[in-house]
Amino acid sequence: MAKGPRQLLLEHADERDLTKLSEYEAVGGYESLRKALDMEPGAIVEELLASNIRGRGGAGFPMGRKASFLPKPDQATKPIYLTVNADESEPGTFKDREIMFRVPHALIEGAVITCYAIGAETAFIYLRGEYYTEFEIMRAALEEAQKAGYVGAAVAGSGASVTIVIHRGAGAYICGEETALLESLEGKRGQPRSKPPFPAISGVYASPTLINNVETVATVPDIIELGGAEYAKLGVENSAGTRVFSLSGNVVRGGNYELELGTPLRSLIYDIGGGIPDGRELKAVIPGGSSVPVLAANEVDAPLDFDSMANLGTFLGSGAVIVIDDRACMVQLGLRVAQFYMHESCGKCTPCREGTRWMVQILKKLEEGRAEQGELDLLLNVCDRILGNCLCPLGDAAAMPVASYVAKFRDEYQRHIEEGGCPFGAESSLAGVMAPVDQHHAHMRSQIEVPVHEFA
Amino acid sequence: MSTPELVTVTVDDREIRIPKGTGLIETALACGVEIPVFCYEPRLGAPVGACRMCLCEVEGMPKLQAACTMTAQDALVLRTAQTSEKAAEGQRAILEFILLNHPLDCPDCDKGGECPLQDLTFRWGPGNTRMHFPKRTFDKPIPISPVISLDRERCILCYRCTRFSEGVAEDMQLVARNRGAQSIIATFEDEPYRAHFSGNVTELCPVGALLPATYRFRARPWEIDNVPTVCGLCPVGCNVWATTREGKVARILSRNHPEVDDGWLCDKGRFTFDHLRADDRIKQPLKRVRRRGFDPVAWEEAAEEAARGLGEAEGSVVVAFSGGETNEQAGALARLARQGLGSNAAIVPDDLDPAVDGFRAPLAAIRDAEVCVVLGDEPVVDRAPVVDLWLRAARRAGADVITIHPAGSIGVSPGSAAHVARSLAEPGTAPPEFRELADQLRDTQRVALVWSGDDHDRGRRAAALAAALGLGEGSGLYVLPRTPNGRGVSSAWRAAGEGRGEEPPEDGEIGALIVSGDEAGYDPRVARLSERARFVLTTAMFMGDHTLWSHLVLPGTSYLERDGTVVNLEGRAQRQRRAVDPPFPDELEFFAEVGERLGLPVSPRPDEPSPALQAELPPRSRPGALSEPAPPPSPNGTGPGLELVTYRSLFSGPGVERVEPLAFQRPRAELELSFADADDRGISTGDAVLVVGADGVGRELTARVNRRLRAGVVRVADEHADGFARHVEVGKV
Ligand SMILES: Cc1cc2nc3c(=O)[nH]c(=O)nc-3n(C[C@H](O)[C@H](O)[C@H](O)COP(=O)(O)O)c2cc1C
Ligand code: SF4
Ligand code: SF4
Ligand code: FES
Repeated sequence: MAKGPRQLLLEHADERDLTKLSEYEAVGGYESLRKALDMEPGAIVEELLASNIRGRGGAGFPMGRKASFLPKPDQATKPIYLTVNADESEPGTFKDREIMFRVPHALIEGAVITCYAIGAETAFIYLRGEYYTEFEIMRAALEEAQKAGYVGAAVAGSGASVTIVIHRGAGAYICGEETALLESLEGKRGQPRSKPPFPAISGVYASPTLINNVETVATVPDIIELGGAEYAKLGVENSAGTRVFSLSGNVVRGGNYELELGTPLRSLIYDIGGGIPDGRELKAVIPGGSSVPVLAANEVDAPLDFDSMANLGTFLGSGAVIVIDDRACMVQLGLRVAQFYMHESCGKCTPCREGTRWMVQILKKLEEGRAEQGELDLLLNVCDRILGNCLCPLGDAAAMPVASYVAKFRDEYQRHIEEGGCPFGAESSLAGVMAPVDQHHAHMRSQIEVPVHEFA
Repeated sequence: MSTPELVTVTVDDREIRIPKGTGLIETALACGVEIPVFCYEPRLGAPVGACRMCLCEVEGMPKLQAACTMTAQDALVLRTAQTSEKAAEGQRAILEFILLNHPLDCPDCDKGGECPLQDLTFRWGPGNTRMHFPKRTFDKPIPISPVISLDRERCILCYRCTRFSEGVAEDMQLVARNRGAQSIIATFEDEPYRAHFSGNVTELCPVGALLPATYRFRARPWEIDNVPTVCGLCPVGCNVWATTREGKVARILSRNHPEVDDGWLCDKGRFTFDHLRADDRIKQPLKRVRRRGFDPVAWEEAAEEAARGLGEAEGSVVVAFSGGETNEQAGALARLARQGLGSNAAIVPDDLDPAVDGFRAPLAAIRDAEVCVVLGDEPVVDRAPVVDLWLRAARRAGADVITIHPAGSIGVSPGSAAHVARSLAEPGTAPPEFRELADQLRDTQRVALVWSGDDHDRGRRAAALAAALGLGEGSGLYVLPRTPNGRGVSSAWRAAGEGRGEEPPEDGEIGALIVSGDEAGYDPRVARLSERARFVLTTAMFMGDHTLWSHLVLPGTSYLERDGTVVNLEGRAQRQRRAVDPPFPDELEFFAEVGERLGLPVSPRPDEPSPALQAELPPRSRPGALSEPAPPPSPNGTGPGLELVTYRSLFSGPGVERVEPLAFQRPRAELELSFADADDRGISTGDAVLVVGADGVGRELTARVNRRLRAGVVRVADEHADGFARHVEVGKV
């Protein structure tokens, strides 16, 4: 039975303006919170475990297990914190933005339930600095929720107390990495910490901290509503539930789509996304954000779930599906990806700081058709020497995809060397696939025009 | 202490039983295996895992691990590059990346020959480079202060320097800027790195990125000698190497003594050595011929003249010590005066009561204390700088550090230390905050008590407090002497005669005054005595106001030019070694000459058995009678104007003042005042203020608002407080 669209998190969001508390309540909002407050905190963690929900931020770690690494509230010597990772900065990924944009209360409700479950009285939402409109929506929603008594002292009339703090980042992709996020939250330079200690033991302010992605946390009310066991029936084995996929690139109808896990990639691209525009051919797909290895066109029948992607040597990552058509030069793509990671490397550890710069230098030469044969091998060797040697996964996130582009599209790299230039010439286009870094700079400088969602 | 749990770890097939939690770098070392490191430095706090040089294979883990971030756990199996090809490849990768943008300018880098990067590259690095692209370049070198220069191209971004600044000295002045490949080390807001301990980063830096500007192009490792000695500039007595080249001191490095200095030096200790070559250094004996005029004389004549002047004093001789002499110098002078000239009068700085020794503990014990109490108005960092680092380490380790002075965590009026000490010792009627503190201290096992000020009871007040609090095992009392070897000098003086001898006579003529060293010459009491002396014999390194009243001036030596022993503030005897020869006979040789003429044998070398410094420690007990502590000075606001408290900056003194590159460290012409007093007068930091003493002396200083300073008190460094009375008026200009 093929999986397909299934709205849980974004349910009703197409018909109503759920940023308004009254509307959210009208479709059952905050009912899960009331239900949760009638449960023992430990029982909520049990539900999370039973739901098998895996983190939506990239690494896919089971949320219930992460929560159970925290000390029990009566044994903790320091306050326990929840930190929501809303730094969403991976190229291709814009699902958390959609969630905050359209169902901010689901995130707030999820955060309050999670705090109650783990014994935290404070939740931080670390919000990507460029997401200013989202910040305003979240702030307005938070104010409404506070006024209504869902957040603050005596949540919904219970004995629990939860404060939510929205903290805006300052424009660094690395601050989405959980420990760099904590450093930044503490007012320090955003650089990852060496683990262990893991945040569950020593996180923000050296206190036990649970860190989860926006989507993960926003799904918690649904899990409470359905019950963990029922939620676990959604999706496929090892990949329970639904995910919001960000579809972008050379596809007719890009956008965010909530699908049951296990939906075939082909169905997302063709049935939902309307296929490749202008009669072009599909060439490749990046299934989980710019940091994951690429899939070739003949691999798109795979279902979108953790295990299937792993079997193909890639990852579901942040759920960002980037469609690439036959105009795209894979060397240019490699260069842009490498440039992005060079630009975002925090500079703390040697292989990533030095290696990404070297990758860019080699790729640039390749793209310009000046490279010698040995330099292609050098590129692969540099990727190899970065892989697995860094302090945090960002270095791998540069090396892995680039190495996969060479592995799967080696002939294109080869032709750049042999023909002394880009075989695509002026035809090559990465428009909508991956912007060059300098464009990224321009974005940071000017206020981005954010499209306003129209409601029927 | 409980015995640590032992675990079995295997490193490159070698098994070892080692305490659980030992770092893997140390564990491997214990197995005889060296794991190369750059960023790892346990003295800088928790490992950061930044450079990745230490990558190793750990059984059961798919990826290589940074060994420096891991500790010994039972059954852990570690494979280093010696036995694991994967680890070896990891190490090669990292070294290649580290060298990728490095300028490889070893031939003209001062670090060359003693550079960890050079050594590791030589042993494990690639023979050639695969980097054919433009390397990253930066402007270089950048002076981050007059004493330190930074070469950003050589920097490998191990963050040792920034971690020192942030997590050891806590001065927060060195920062990393930008990110990724453009990351650079910089000072905050590009201001000069002006802090008491800045020079340590030049030793921490594992490459030639941060180098002492004073050593730039001065020597090569194969032409230097490193002489192990002890710094003679403050009572901590940090262990140092004096690097010499062609008979000149070129650099001072730390020689880590884990109980005394933990490998840190203050900038005074590190950079003052150039005073040996100061222009106004006295190089031969000088005899006063006319009023305020000196003529050089031969050594023979000087010895004759000294013997004559001292002999004619007929026992009316006063010796003024600096507290910087070696024990042997002080002993020789003391025997000359007490046994040869029949005099018993001296000015002896820091003549501490032996009761203080009953509570002796190594400085390192401060770091392990649960509560540290600092009493006294003199800033610890200016009197005994490294003690400040130990106190910071204690606070980071979780200790309560309570400072009791006008800018302390408990603010009190200036000059209250003795009074507070009595309140803590006899808390019955003391104010509640002291009663609570006294209770806390009595209930605490490990207490570090630091006394940083002048105690008119010669340390007995402090010792009495230590006894009253029942300081025991693990606790210590640290009375910070004013002078580097005041404790040794006073022991030497006592050992040469009947106890402490006498104070100098209050009035009347004195036969002869011996001024031993520049610091003694700076002492106003000595200046006053000299006016009454028929004959003044001074040993000094430099000409200055303090030598002008002498009849005979002999060239003095620096601690870097002497052999002998000194006693630090812990009561620890340490050996100073002659790093370079003084350009003339030293004081001991001269006094031997004089002694011979006076019929008293004095050895010209430091081979006399030194007095029994390390004799039996006294038991931990109450000292004898104490004088009544001065009543607490009048509470705020009632006195005329603001109460002035002055302090002696670390960067003051005859040697340091002559070192041009350290001029930027000299105390600023600044007046610190409390927030309330500043607010009342509409003064903010940076404003020019006129400070007027009760006697009408006025001077313009720059205001600095110190939020920790108690209202009613202002603070000025000694050199800018000259002529001010105890109370001053302050107004905005
Ligand atoms: C370089 C880097 C960037 C990341 N950025 C994000 C991000 O923007 N948002 C996010 O939720 N997780 C991000 N992550 C993953 C987080 O480290 C962390 O695994 C996640 O927030 C945990 O939440 P989850 O378990 O709910 O997925 C990033 C990881 C890395 C290494
Ligand atoms: S891998 Fe890159 S981003 Fe991560 S710590 Fe190292 S330098 Fe920083
Ligand atoms: S300047 Fe030296 S100590 Fe500082 S980060 Fe660079 S290499 Fe390390
Ligand atoms: S020495 Fe281990 S990472 Fe630097």
